[in-house]
Amino acid sequence: MDQLWAFEGPATVRQVHDALSRTRDIAYTTVMTVLDRLARKGSAEQLRDGRAYRYRPAVSREELTAELMHQALDTVDGSDRTLALLRFVDSATPDDAEALRAALAELEQRRADDGDTQP
Amino acid sequence: MTPATPVVLLVLALALTGPGPAALARARWPLRAPRAALVFWQAMALSALLAALGAGLSAATLVLVYQDPHPVVVALHSAALLLTLVVVARLLWSAHTLGTALRAGRRRQRHLVDLLGRADARAPGADVLDAERPLAYCIPGVPSRVVISTPAIDRLADDEVTAVLAHERAHARARHDLVLEAFAVLHNAFPRFVRSRTALDATAGLVEMLADDAARRRSGDVPLARALAGLSTAPAPPGALAATSVTPAARIRRLAHVPASAPLVSAPAYLAAAALFAIPTVAVAVPWLSAVTASLT
Repeated sequence: MDQLWAFEGPATVRQVHDALSRTRDIAYTTVMTVLDRLARKGSAEQLRDGRAYRYRPAVSREELTAELMHQALDTVDGSDRTLALLRFVDSATPDDAEALRAALAELEQRRADDGDTQP
Repeated sequence: MTPATPVVLLVLALALTGPGPAALARARWPLRAPRAALVFWQAMALSALLAALGAGLSAATLVLVYQDPHPVVVALHSAALLLTLVVVARLLWSAHTLGTALRAGRRRQRHLVDLLGRADARAPGADVLDAERPLAYCIPGVPSRVVISTPAIDRLADDEVTAVLAHERAHARARHDLVLEAFAVLHNAFPRFVRSRTALDATAGLVEMLADDAARRRSGDVPLARALAGLSTAPAPPGALAATSVTPAARIRRLAHVPASAPLVSAPAYLAAAALFAIPTVAVAVPWLSAVTASLT
């Protein structure tokens, strides 16, 4: 997908394969399979060009990033999507910055004291 | 069997869905033994469900022990049976719709992350996203993904990133999503006016504590606490205020006060969970089932 975004216009499997081969060892058929899957999932468009297919991205990197962030940050209460991902901190439960600082300072103080008593 | 069986089971079911969860949610010991508490919640939910279904079925089968039942009695017992079947159907439907929605959402997320994520030496094993906001999460399932955004990595020290990734990997490895999914299925299956979020919120808090304990064993508790503080200062989206699950400050306070393992608290909790499940089964269900079998033969 990165390679498709890098091309100006629609690219053939050969072009994508050439670009990828510069940095790693990859089979032509692998590239073909991946492009075909991207097309079926709607992330790339498949255009007929004579006997070959050309591919171009159906969406921009920015659009996909926006969709991903929207899903990842979705915290509408009661929505099933809030369960789909397990977030490190749930932005639906904001804390007051003061409470956070106090809790952190207390923990650091305790651990510093432990360090003093058990060298 | 006596006509009291359905009543006993119904009272038990009500106690385990109302006062039981409320008391457990207020208790302090789950902070010390989150794993045992999670087992206890599951035992309570399962026991409540079995008691409720048992109440309906035992009321329905009571008609079998009467010699010559009145039509009104038969109608009442049929209604009990019908109600039980409706509850079972709603549970199955809830499990199906939620499971489908969750799997579709996660599949889409995994697809997006695979397209957009890149590897980064500062967050080994994670998919790194070039996004505007700091965030870290895991997409559970097989295969799972641990995702962290560049602003989050920039904001945290190396050992703090390690703590975040250990926390998320613990979620993925222990399949915490399955526990939460089960409680969400139960929650969704009951009509809006009888259900409460108590169990769902409490279990969501407990799995965070479990993942925190895994992370602090890996990286120590100070880096984990700093990561919690560092990532939770992001402003919350408006209108998304639900003071429900455990807040980051509460999690840091827990790190300060509670040691990573507390077997003295866990053992009685496991015993109580087993008893909660076994006693109603043996004391009520076995006599009822044997009475029904006897009346049929």
